Amino acid sequence: MKRVFFFIGSFLLLLISAQAQDLTLDEIMTKHYQASGMEKLQQVNTVIMIGLRVQQDIMPLKIVRKRPNLSLMEFDVADLTAYQAYDGNIGWSTAPWTGDASPKPLPESRTRDLMYQSDFDGMLYNWKEKGHHLELEGVDTMDTKLAYKIKLVRADSAIQYYFIGMGDFLLKKQTTFRMIRGEEISIENIFTDYRPVEGIPFAFNIETRYPGRSVSMEFETIELNQSVEDDLFKMP
Amino acid sequence: MKHLLQPLPSSFIPRPSSLVPRPSPLVLLPFTLLLLANTLFSQEVLQWRGDDRRGVYPDTELLQSWPESGPELIWEFAEAGNGYSSPLITDNRIYVTGEIDTITYLFALDKSGKQIYKVPVGKEWTINYPGSRSTPTLVDDLIYLTTGMGTVACLEAKDGNVRWSLNMMSDLHAPGITFGFAEGLLVDGNTVFCTPGNADTNVVALDRFTGEIQWISKGLGEHTAYCSPLLIRLPERNIMVTFTAHALLGIDTKDGTLLWSHKQDAEGDVHVNTPWFEDGYIYYITGDGNGSVKLKLSDDGTAITEIWRNKACDNTMGGFIKLGNYIYTASYEKRKWYVQDATTGANVDSVKFDKGAIIFADNMLYLYNERGQLGLFKPDGPKMVLVSSFKITRGSKAHYAHPVISDGILYVRHGNSLMAYNVKK
Repeated sequence: MKRVFFFIGSFLLLLISAQAQDLTLDEIMTKHYQASGMEKLQQVNTVIMIGLRVQQDIMPLKIVRKRPNLSLMEFDVADLTAYQAYDGNIGWSTAPWTGDASPKPLPESRTRDLMYQSDFDGMLYNWKEKGHHLELEGVDTMDTKLAYKIKLVRADSAIQYYFIGMGDFLLKKQTTFRMIRGEEISIENIFTDYRPVEGIPFAFNIETRYPGRSVSMEFETIELNQSVEDDLFKMP
Repeated sequence: MKHLLQPLPSSFIPRPSSLVPRPSPLVLLPFTLLLLANTLFSQEVLQWRGDDRRGVYPDTELLQSWPESGPELIWEFAEAGNGYSSPLITDNRIYVTGEIDTITYLFALDKSGKQIYKVPVGKEWTINYPGSRSTPTLVDDLIYLTTGMGTVACLEAKDGNVRWSLNMMSDLHAPGITFGFAEGLLVDGNTVFCTPGNADTNVVALDRFTGEIQWISKGLGEHTAYCSPLLIRLPERNIMVTFTAHALLGIDTKDGTLLWSHKQDAEGDVHVNTPWFEDGYIYYITGDGNGSVKLKLSDDGTAITEIWRNKACDNTMGGFIKLGNYIYTASYEKRKWYVQDATTGANVDSVKFDKGAIIFADNMLYLYNERGQLGLFKPDGPKMVLVSSFKITRGSKAHYAHPVISDGILYVRHGNSLMAYNVKK
């Protein structure tokens, strides 16, 4: 009996995968933009996300984003408040748990990552104009759900993977790669708990999985179009 | 040993006996008896987690459920500085500590939350989790507390004047620690105890009126473990029960003799929770893989026997409550609450409400988790049932301070804010 279910399951997966492959990359992206409220997002200039950063400790977290690519994350580690920001040119951070709370510029590779990460609309939107390259690699599973697996080759040649839900066309997972102490590690961001904010769906839970550990960002409020000065993002 | 104790006020210098008129022994007898009675039976001690440090408060006629937005907030004192310590509540005052610009302050408030005084005590720990840790201990009219950087101080409650102070690092050879000194100081009679955690000055007993050293115990020579000790009173002796890095210690309060120890078998060296003593048994719960333990204490207090150990139920600093045969506590590893069978040690139920602190009053459990949610739970033997909850939105930083209930008021400290909620029926 188990074998029968297995065969039926496999057949359905193949069938759905085959149908899924019927959609072209452009069609998938168009549906993804629609599902993500990209049209409405163009009217948004700032996003402020407030919540908790959950690792071993549960600590306050605030993320501020502004068009076109400004970002600031204020977060607590060991109840000490730290910052990581990109002001459109310079990436910087603080690490008060080291005993030195003064802001420092990030290394060039981290700044580049942060610059792409700070893209207000995300890298998938208008990817051609931004110099990225996309490839549809097929269908993958996200837990028990199916998702389109899309490879993004960044303008600087770095590779990322995006997993877009087959049912709702929302972003479910993003995989990036980073060199740490000479070794490449993969970092997964899992997007869940989508809720509409002024008609635009936002993931209220983002879990970041590193090898052997994970950190979750759980947002309680997300506000759009609040007044935010550019100076907020500049290194003090 | 370097001795930096402040000079005693002249009122505490004993007068030479030859200058004092000698009344008849019969006249003295009632006074002597009164003095003895006061010393032995009437010492008023207000301390961390209330009587016996259990987190059980004697209030009755409290709300058995709350409105959706929580009970009525009567007042908020928003200038308490950084801190995780709990407030101490007397008949007409509230005492709480807080860190402002690296200094620990003791605040005295009236019962409406108005500041009466604010006095500096010493340097506070700001390297990680910056803020005051130690909940003050009030004995009659004197307050005892420690700062994260090791100052042990005795202050006069009425005005905050420092009667004496010393520093565990500079005066008692305490080694550097990871998270700052945190113990709620224990008092037994005329003695106050502190745990510097050095090999030669592991646990130290001080005269509570002068700060002079009464005895020094070498313990096991391990560093301090942030525990607020328990006092067990037996017919033959009183025992101070506390943790150092890898063991629970039982120390005779009279002379510092190490009576017994119970070794931990996991690496964790943070053991914040005060143990619980009941009917000849000691219960403790600690984190970092060590779990929960039940010990049998011999009648004379000189020996222990392990009854059970449950590594699947750990708790780093939220405390626990034992009611009848059941223990209620949060598992820090699993981030949920467990009910344990106190006879067998088995986990018999679990509830999802993230990790945090627990207290008890009027048949209800109060859970304050690290997300800032305050939950009112009904303990029902092997079950605990959520009745009401609301979110603490005022204050700053992490939600670690243990709540306190007194006179129908629930006191919740969240960083710089101390809030008073009316939970009377």
